[in-house]
Amino acid sequence: MRAHGPRVSCVVVTVLALCAALAACGGGSGGSGGKTVLRYSWWGNPDRAARTEKAIALFEKQHPGIEVQTSFSGYDTYIQKLATQAAGGDAPDVMQLDYRQINQYAQGGVLLDLGKQKDLRTGDFDKGLLGTGVVDDTQYAIPMGRGTQAVVYDAAQWRKAGVPEPRAGWTWKKWAWAMGRLAEATGKAGSVDPGHNEDWFEIWLRGQGKSLYTEDGGLGFTTGDLTRYWEWTSELRKRGAVSSAEQTTQLDGTVENQPLGRGKAVSDINWDAPSSGYEALLGKNPKLAPMPVAEDGTPGQYFKPSMFVGAAAKTSHPKAAVALIDFLMNDREAAEILGANRGIPANDRLRKRLIPELDGFDKVVADYQSGLEGKLKDPPQAPLQGDAALQRTLQRDYDQVSFGKMSPRKAAGQFVTAAKAELR
Amino acid sequence: MTTTTRTPPKRTAERTARTGSAGRRSRREPQGAAWVFLSPWVLGAVVLTLLPMAVSLYLSFTDYNMFDAPQWIGLRNYTQMFTEDARYWRSVVSTLTYVVIAVPLQLGLALAVALALKSIRRGRGFYRSAFYAPSLLGASMSIALVWRAIFNDGGTVDDLLSRAGLDIGGWVNRPGWALLAVALLTVWQFGAPMVIFLAGLQQIPSELYEAAAVDGAGRWRQFVSITVPMLSPVIFFNLVLQTIQAFQVFTPAFAVSGGKGGPADSTLFYTLYLYDRGFTASHMGYASAMAWVLLVAIGIVTALLFRSSRGWVFYANEEER
Repeated sequence: MRAHGPRVSCVVVTVLALCAALAACGGGSGGSGGKTVLRYSWWGNPDRAARTEKAIALFEKQHPGIEVQTSFSGYDTYIQKLATQAAGGDAPDVMQLDYRQINQYAQGGVLLDLGKQKDLRTGDFDKGLLGTGVVDDTQYAIPMGRGTQAVVYDAAQWRKAGVPEPRAGWTWKKWAWAMGRLAEATGKAGSVDPGHNEDWFEIWLRGQGKSLYTEDGGLGFTTGDLTRYWEWTSELRKRGAVSSAEQTTQLDGTVENQPLGRGKAVSDINWDAPSSGYEALLGKNPKLAPMPVAEDGTPGQYFKPSMFVGAAAKTSHPKAAVALIDFLMNDREAAEILGANRGIPANDRLRKRLIPELDGFDKVVADYQSGLEGKLKDPPQAPLQGDAALQRTLQRDYDQVSFGKMSPRKAAGQFVTAAKAELR
Repeated sequence: MTTTTRTPPKRTAERTARTGSAGRRSRREPQGAAWVFLSPWVLGAVVLTLLPMAVSLYLSFTDYNMFDAPQWIGLRNYTQMFTEDARYWRSVVSTLTYVVIAVPLQLGLALAVALALKSIRRGRGFYRSAFYAPSLLGASMSIALVWRAIFNDGGTVDDLLSRAGLDIGGWVNRPGWALLAVALLTVWQFGAPMVIFLAGLQQIPSELYEAAAVDGAGRWRQFVSITVPMLSPVIFFNLVLQTIQAFQVFTPAFAVSGGKGGPADSTLFYTLYLYDRGFTASHMGYASAMAWVLLVAIGIVTALLFRSSRGWVFYANEEER
């Protein structure tokens, strides 16, 4: 062999290895014999999965020609997976969507115009709520239910700690005090650290009369606002009143990985319906309390469509997809199976029929929402396109704060810079 | 029976005669047949590699959210990356740290195990397969998830260390330690370089060791003066290959950090941030620009390695030069 032999083969292997860096791949979808196969995907907890499977079985019985393939995951994983599928033109036929996604997907041409589907009955829907699924005058998505934020707590542990239970109208100051007391009494954190989540920051911000986004598509708060918020949460974290950085960094949108779910805290801040997952972890103990309000009594909490259902513009079976959506939204039996797991149903007729029959955590959610009726301010407009990216950025920037790598001011400045770049 | 056993030699003789003459003729014949046989590879290379590369080069100069048509913005993705994006630079630092930790550890372990296996006579095949097995499992998501469970708080490692009085908590939730957990996953997959080292070790003429032993050289001396120089082309080969792979590491970091690159961006490797920009934030143009910068950066690092090799890689047949 010549002297250059090994070198030449090294070069060849190198080039091949470099090429692997840029190669991409795509996926396809298969069919199955005779039946129309629909793909339906959603995010949620195991309770939701069990109920959804049961409802789907009923749908398949009613429509023998249709087979529904389902897939579900936690919220964080779900949004990434759906974004990848949608970008590849391979979005599932029927998909669950968040308020933070519909703008992007509707404007991106991913969603089917549901307003044109005659087989889809929306007559029984709350008009205001139905309107939240409209983008550019087109009904791209149907709200599945109504949800709101809540302080979720383990009632047994809370009482044992000898701290007075939360009451409607409690302020952030009282909340912080209670968290400190809970931590002292139990040795666990009082709550999850609210600093890492854009949703909870939004509530705090609304209490101050501000908002995440302005109507003309800009940022509704300043570096100063976020700095104040993060300095406050950091102070609570250092006292042990809220979860440690190591706990907070593990949050992924599932109740199992919240500090309350892992047995590391007495309470949590979450959305009302998904908190049903805590029943499996805490027994019959989880209770819901309203979110704290600002010192002057201004509530930041709001009712919003808990989630939407939409169909893919590129679906090969629009009729079957619409039939499934119609079933999920209007069928009485389906509503009984699904209960309030996706929020209190947006369908007025079903809601009236359903509410007296609800039991277990579904009833807890229904009672919680009826207690808030008329006390909350209007929801903000649907979040802007770049919001999905900013949610993640906020979590990352707060990680820098909670692990002590950056000051709240520096991290807040960095977030606001990123947000402005995202929105321009 | 006898007739059938006799035919094969005859046939092979005929075949060699035929291929011999065909070999001489081939230069004049059109190369159509060659292209037909090459076509699966050529098609794959063009459609799945070259074309996407060209498209991604174009996209790197655009603002593209994957849904609307790409908008030409010139070099803005690149300028934003280099001048405005602090997180980008953190991902560069994380990646470099990882490469510098994981590659030497992995190669060192691979070489050590190869040296140990070389002298084992009984059950060599078994050990070789056993040590190689992790490399086969390596790229899979499931192993990375198991890894996360092992290094999480309350996981096996946390449990064992706590019992030993070292309460570090879950590695994957602490900046600094998380990167180490990911690096260990790579180190554990030392099988591929080990097999190459083994093959290289077997190429070293045993006379050299015998002569050295006669001259009174100890084991360490033999290792430094014979094994390392004679093995240097193989070491170089493994180094280049593993470095390139380490720069592109994705799956372990993605799974171990739950897709977030946390805690505090400590495992936000370049490819993970690239994926995040592309698929979570829908900035495919920006992600493409990042991919091209990575390609160029790996190219430069590889070129530097090749240049350095002149100083330390020894080819036996170059001795006289």
